[in-house]
Amino acid sequence: MQGGSSGIGYGLKYQARCISDVKADTDHTSFLTGTLSLKEENEVHLLRLSSGGSELVCEGLFSHPNEIWDLASCPFDQRIFSTVFSTGESFGAAIWQIPEPYGQSNSSTLDCVASLDAHVGKINCVLWCPSGKSDKLISMDEQNLVLWSLDSSKKSAEVVSKESAGMRHSLSGGAWNPHDVNSVAATSESSIQFWDLRTMKNVNSIERAHVRNVDYNTKREHILVTADDESGIHIWDLRKAKAPVQELPGHTHWTWAVRCNPEYEELILSVGTDSAVNLWFASASSEKQASERSAEASRQRVNPLLNSYTDYEDSVYGLAWSSREPWFFASLSYDGRVVIESVKPFLPRR
Amino acid sequence: MATEAAPMDEKAKRMRDLLSSFYTPDPSISTPTSSISTSFDNINGPSFDADQYMDLMIKKSNLDVLLQRHVQMAAEIKNLDTDLQMLVYENYNKFISATDTIKRMKSNIFGMEGNMDQLLHKIMSVQSRSDGVNTSLFEKREHIEKLHRTRNLLRKVQFIYDLPARLQKCIKSEAYGDAVRFYTGAMPILKVYGDTSFKDCRRASEEAIETIIKNLQTKLFSDSESIQARAEAAVLLKQLDVPVDSLKDKLLEKLEQSLDGLQINPDEASKLAEHNVSSKDEESNNQGPAKIHEDAVRGFSEAMRAYREIFPDSEERLFKLARALTTTHFENMELYIRKRVSAADFLGIFREYSAFPPADVLLLSNSLRIIWEDVVLMDEVLPEAALSDLSAEAAQVTLKQFVARTFSHLQQDISDTLLKFDINQKEVVDGEVLKVVLEASGKAEFRQLLDENTGIFVKMNDLLIGWIQKGFQDFFSEKIHAGLILVLAQLSVVIEQKVIPRIAEEITASFSGGNSQAFIPGELCRVFHAASEKLLQHYIDTRTQKISNVLRKRFKTPNWVKHKEPREVHMYVDMLLQQLEEVGKEVKQILPQGTFRKHKRSDSNGSNTTTSSRSTTLHSDKMARSNSQRARSQLFETHLAKLFKQKVEIFTKVEFTQESVVTTTVKLCLKSLQEYVRLQTFNRSGFQQIQLDIQFLKAPLKETVEDEAAIDFLLDEVIVAASERCLDATPLEPPILDKLIQAKLAKSKEHNNNNKTTVSS
Repeated sequence: MQGGSSGIGYGLKYQARCISDVKADTDHTSFLTGTLSLKEENEVHLLRLSSGGSELVCEGLFSHPNEIWDLASCPFDQRIFSTVFSTGESFGAAIWQIPEPYGQSNSSTLDCVASLDAHVGKINCVLWCPSGKSDKLISMDEQNLVLWSLDSSKKSAEVVSKESAGMRHSLSGGAWNPHDVNSVAATSESSIQFWDLRTMKNVNSIERAHVRNVDYNTKREHILVTADDESGIHIWDLRKAKAPVQELPGHTHWTWAVRCNPEYEELILSVGTDSAVNLWFASASSEKQASERSAEASRQRVNPLLNSYTDYEDSVYGLAWSSREPWFFASLSYDGRVVIESVKPFLPRR
Repeated sequence: MATEAAPMDEKAKRMRDLLSSFYTPDPSISTPTSSISTSFDNINGPSFDADQYMDLMIKKSNLDVLLQRHVQMAAEIKNLDTDLQMLVYENYNKFISATDTIKRMKSNIFGMEGNMDQLLHKIMSVQSRSDGVNTSLFEKREHIEKLHRTRNLLRKVQFIYDLPARLQKCIKSEAYGDAVRFYTGAMPILKVYGDTSFKDCRRASEEAIETIIKNLQTKLFSDSESIQARAEAAVLLKQLDVPVDSLKDKLLEKLEQSLDGLQINPDEASKLAEHNVSSKDEESNNQGPAKIHEDAVRGFSEAMRAYREIFPDSEERLFKLARALTTTHFENMELYIRKRVSAADFLGIFREYSAFPPADVLLLSNSLRIIWEDVVLMDEVLPEAALSDLSAEAAQVTLKQFVARTFSHLQQDISDTLLKFDINQKEVVDGEVLKVVLEASGKAEFRQLLDENTGIFVKMNDLLIGWIQKGFQDFFSEKIHAGLILVLAQLSVVIEQKVIPRIAEEITASFSGGNSQAFIPGELCRVFHAASEKLLQHYIDTRTQKISNVLRKRFKTPNWVKHKEPREVHMYVDMLLQQLEEVGKEVKQILPQGTFRKHKRSDSNGSNTTTSSRSTTLHSDKMARSNSQRARSQLFETHLAKLFKQKVEIFTKVEFTQESVVTTTVKLCLKSLQEYVRLQTFNRSGFQQIQLDIQFLKAPLKETVEDEAAIDFLLDEVIVAASERCLDATPLEPPILDKLIQAKLAKSKEHNNNNKTTVSS
């Protein structure tokens, strides 16, 4: 169907929204993705990039009871992942474990490690602690933030603390600060809130309405990237959060998600409902005050948009960099197409 | 024999050499016939060796040859001997004749001394006689000389005694030149002997001179006299040692006084200009004061010329004066500009007389032209004063100020008027202003001042760019009316397309001789183009953002899973249409119409028949038909449909036409609608509500939008998205759908009648 594409494609049976990098798998470049179908039987696919990087193989296919709205792989155990799902009328979140000899049968069932059933409203996302070792989890619904402690051997998860953000702040998503495990950013209707997990208090916020997605820069502390519906991508320095450090135009329609590359600090990916994935080069740095002028000059000269991948049929919602081979990224459009692309031609020279 | 011949030969050769060296300076020429063999063979050569020659001869030749050689040599020797004898004889002859000549000379010289003595004696006697004559005449000559001297003295005395009378006569006949000449001639005598017998005479002549000086001064200051006469008077005065500086001062004062009369009276001029505009009688009115002014300036320049002729060595003051004049001109103009521009009814004037060039600009150009003419006049007189440079500088500053002020006011006015929604006339006026400014600058004809003037243009453009960028930033921070952004966008397009070529044209027309490096139309075009695109994009963004807010509220608030059966079209549709209508209104006022214009269709139930002849119509028709069936096997069918359907370009490039902007806005809104729908889960009633709303939207949207296929596609996409997110996607029956839509239409019609706002129909 897409002859001109340079990427490696893989088709899911149904529509889908979420894809996640399997960070704990150090031997292979793997991704987990789950379908979003209200009426059909939903599936979770474990995809693996062949060693040559030329093929995308389905390593495991597991049925999932409900349509999946969010999926996140456990950073320390490649077999464990979390999903947020909806029955159509109500939402739920759970931790799943892929059965031991996986990949044998075509559609094996998943083991449910724990159900994160402390929510009533619409659950937005489940965040794993980015430190890699910790067994802490956060689940978020529109009003509440819940910190869980997971014991995978006992197959149980306990609520450590729970805090309500209040009725007025309808939370929509968030990101866990990789530089400070006690800090979580959560997007709400009118602002980005920063929560301290020790006190479970909202300690700081950036006034910014309708932020749809947020991601920390794993390489540079204090740098946060947000995506808005209408006004594109903003890069913030949390130490001076009054105004964004840099603005990128984003997409023709909504900018749905944004991800910083885990290795190359300047590279930012964004996906949008205009059926495109954009690769940005954001050189702005508040730390390099001395070279700021020259950077500014070069920014004006160079278009920050390195490339736009437009070979999609529908809105693109899912996006994940590979942490093992950070020049690969996986994108997922609503029609269930996973496309792995390499950004090697655009890597900054060092 | 051979041995005998050898010394003979040697001897003969030496002889011949000697002889030849005696008669000809070059021996090589004297012996051209001698063989040029080796040096030993050459009898005539200097290095001839007789023994060797003999050896060689004996070795080489046989007896016959030797004998022959001997005979030959003997003959040669004989010849040489006779030659020698002849020569000796000749020489001897010559010697004898020379001796004879000397003897004869000796005898001739003999009687000469006596003659010489005689001659000397005679000369002596002549001299003594002439001396005698001289002494006898000496006395008489001396007497004559004395008499002559006395006569001269007497004549001078007579002249001095006559001087007063003569001066008086000169005064009467106004021959001041002669008078001054006489007086200066007599001056040294009067000075020396003035205290003695000439006392009366001196006093009288001094009095006469006094009157002459007076007369001359009056003549100098009287404007009625010709310049030449005045110049002469000045020269004479100078000759009479009258202090010239004081004269200069007086004259300059007079010039300064005349300057006051020369200044352009801004108020009068402005009145005049306004009068011109309103009475439409520019020519006749304009000429009067202009002529007066011109005459005044001409007089001034004449005076300057005279002054320059009179006092050629003191130009500094003149320069200062001329500069002062020009600067006051420009100061006046500046003042005037400030006054005019800050006037509250600035825009009012523009609009009132938008048929004419704005009064201000007309006036500015007029005064500029006048000043330039003045400067040219003065420049002829005082080329060194660099007046043209000065005035160019001043003109540049003034123009800059004018442009800056005009633009700042325009900016303000634009925002003001925009808020009043009165923008129709604006564009025309903007264009006018720029054009007229350009014309004014062009007419000023600063031909040799190319650089400065291009500087002005560049400055102007910098201003414009800065202004636009500033405006752009302002609108980001503040929420000024979105229409203003649109106006700015259009304005930058106007600048890009009309003004910049115009400027370039003017520059090439006015300064065809010079280079116009500083002004790069392409670069400026690019800047403005980018700005206009950005602004347009920003306009669309702000607009869609508003609509997006409406949609967000609509989809966040109800519980779609527990939605009640649809009773009517939801009111958010009205809000949506209202917003779109606003966009349409703004766009219609500001942007030009595109070339494509679809047929108008009568409003009604929004039937699916389209008059568009596009290839995609087929698909949309098919999709419309399949709408009802689609609910069943939804996913499969849409995928199948997508396979066959060519990808509809939703996000096309925005153009500067009404249709393009409206279409883009509608497309973005529908896409947002689809995305909101995808985020929800619906029950059957929820789905039916969406279906109803979309069905209702179809007709008015198609009415406003150029690209029907894309709208059809997007509307269908919304319904597809809703059915995908629906637990039980059973569509409404077409009759019920129709009935509900008709009800809504009737209601809105009634609403229209109640308050006359025109909802798009």
